Amino acid sequence: MPNPALPPLDDAHMVSEVALLAKIGWDFAAESADLDETLRHAIQRILDYLDAEAGSIFLLDEETRELSCRACAGPLDITGLKLEVDHGIVGRTITSNCLQMVRDVAKDQSFTGFVDAQTGFTTRSILCAPLLIRGKALGAIEVINKKSADGLFSPADSQLLVALSALAALAIHNARMAAALVEQERMKKELELAGEIQRSLLPRPRSDDFPIHGLNVPALEVSGDFYHFFELPDGRLSFCLGDVSGKGMNASLLMAKTISLFHCLAKTQHEPGVLLAAINDEVAETATRGMFVTLVAGIYDPQTQQVIFANGGHQPPLFRDARGGFQEFAAEGPPIGIFAGVDYLEQSLALAGGSLYLFTDGLTEGKPKNGVPLGDTGVRSLIEKLRALPAPRRLQQMAAHLQFPGAVLHDDLTIMVIDSVLAPLPMESTDLPACPDCLPQAREVARTAGRKAGFDDETVENLALAVNEAVMNVIQHGYHFASGQTVRLEISLDDAALAFDLLDHAPPVRPEAVQSRPLDEIRPGGLGVHFIRSIMDEMTFIAPPPGFGNCLHMVKYRKKEGSEHGT
Amino acid sequence: MEHEISKVGRFTVIALKGEVDMRHSPQARKVILANLEKALPVMVELSGVSYIDSSGVASLVEGLQLAKNRKIEFALAGISTPVMNVLKLARLDRVFTIHPTPESTLA
Repeated sequence: MPNPALPPLDDAHMVSEVALLAKIGWDFAAESADLDETLRHAIQRILDYLDAEAGSIFLLDEETRELSCRACAGPLDITGLKLEVDHGIVGRTITSNCLQMVRDVAKDQSFTGFVDAQTGFTTRSILCAPLLIRGKALGAIEVINKKSADGLFSPADSQLLVALSALAALAIHNARMAAALVEQERMKKELELAGEIQRSLLPRPRSDDFPIHGLNVPALEVSGDFYHFFELPDGRLSFCLGDVSGKGMNASLLMAKTISLFHCLAKTQHEPGVLLAAINDEVAETATRGMFVTLVAGIYDPQTQQVIFANGGHQPPLFRDARGGFQEFAAEGPPIGIFAGVDYLEQSLALAGGSLYLFTDGLTEGKPKNGVPLGDTGVRSLIEKLRALPAPRRLQQMAAHLQFPGAVLHDDLTIMVIDSVLAPLPMESTDLPACPDCLPQAREVARTAGRKAGFDDETVENLALAVNEAVMNVIQHGYHFASGQTVRLEISLDDAALAFDLLDHAPPVRPEAVQSRPLDEIRPGGLGVHFIRSIMDEMTFIAPPPGFGNCLHMVKYRKKEGSEHGT
Repeated sequence: MEHEISKVGRFTVIALKGEVDMRHSPQARKVILANLEKALPVMVELSGVSYIDSSGVASLVEGLQLAKNRKIEFALAGISTPVMNVLKLARLDRVFTIHPTPESTLA
């Protein structure tokens, strides 16, 4: 029984229209590499179906506002033909965004006869539909001269052309998006390459006992931050750290230029003020678009522990003295690259057991987990907290503070430290099998370190207990008594503290899961963490070096005076 | 670790010797709990213990809990400085009944 709500389907005309739409739709969907080829097929099919003499597809160039013929069918090949956008019936279709049906071109003022005049073709009637995507015309499909009957296009023809033009518009849009993606991919590869070259301009990492260490974490693929240091023949070290205004490719190119200038000029120029002035003159001569560089450059003499530096508009370097006091050194000169002929004053500082930190605003403005920018106070307390670590690990931990999982780095981050003492060396690194039988050895290692640090017998015994408990926790809760596992105990000592780092290969623990139990609750177990916390001055999980699952960082302060020390 | 069992007055005295750490605390725990099963007063004598860690302390706490449940007398004796130090860290030095020596309970 026929359903009265649906239009009758027994119409042969409609069936073949659906078939045509299906065929052309299929062509567009299957189309991949060659859009022009697909458009040619489509216009030919449309021509055949509508029984027209000629047909063409014009696309609009957004920049030149020119129409050009991308595909055509019929007696003449006009592929490549260009028209002004306000020209002829095609132009009117595009500027009006509406289908145009012209039954007699002679009576239409928009018809220019431009093509006819050039080719000898005679146009009588035109049907032209815009290729619309989100209401914007990409171009138009035009068919000319109906061959059959009265030579006129019917309203049914125009409806069909509108449907077909929607399909064609989608196919063209898709092809353009695909091309844009390919281009994006190419740009990404180039950026990666640029980033790689840029990283190669930074100095290679040195062993823990080298006095200067640096770290650069770009927010994007390429960085506007940089640092550099190298040894002079007389044993002194030349160093710099800087930040180019702006981000991205132009900043990274200026970075490359500045770091190269430094590397070249600092080899022979050992007065930081003069060096900065020379780099400034060179950059100012060629820098464009108001770009500039903030830069600290200096010389460190490990023999005298003296630093001499000059500061061109950069964040004040921060000095932590051996007693834990902090001092800032504000810039004495303007940023590099603004005016030539500027003098830069030198500042000097005796490290005397302290450390000098240089960094970019990526550190002070960086946000740790609580979302509040670190600021000067945050930087100081971070330095204080991590001071017992060897420099490379210290810098890594400072960066990790802002680069926790899920963090978005908004600015490049660069930090450099000059340590005057060669001390925070791993004094000892011991690998132990993770089983109860290794506990006496772990305790002995801890006792030896404690005695070396000058702690009294009771404290030495407590340190042994704390390390014992920490290793036990790994055996029990990290490895669940699995055999064949190992732990590494790293011990470092400096003027201020003795630090134990216990490294394991267990799955990362959630620090909040490691808690001591309330002591008024009398029950076996759960005492280990309480012991460690009571004995040590610091106990934190820090980011482990590559290859390890966890690093438990335990610190015992050395008190210079008082009853606890060397009685 | 070694242990010796003797009888002093009303107490069964378990004398532990050596290091009571994770290697040996399971053994210490077993001996303490087995003797409490006999429902007689138990004393753990620790003068020969050179080292004790949280697992050793946990064995003593378990003994104390079982004794309390069964209403059996449970005490420690011969606490050396290192052991006392650990008990103090755990704030358990006032939780256990502590005698100077097993013999001091005879008077």
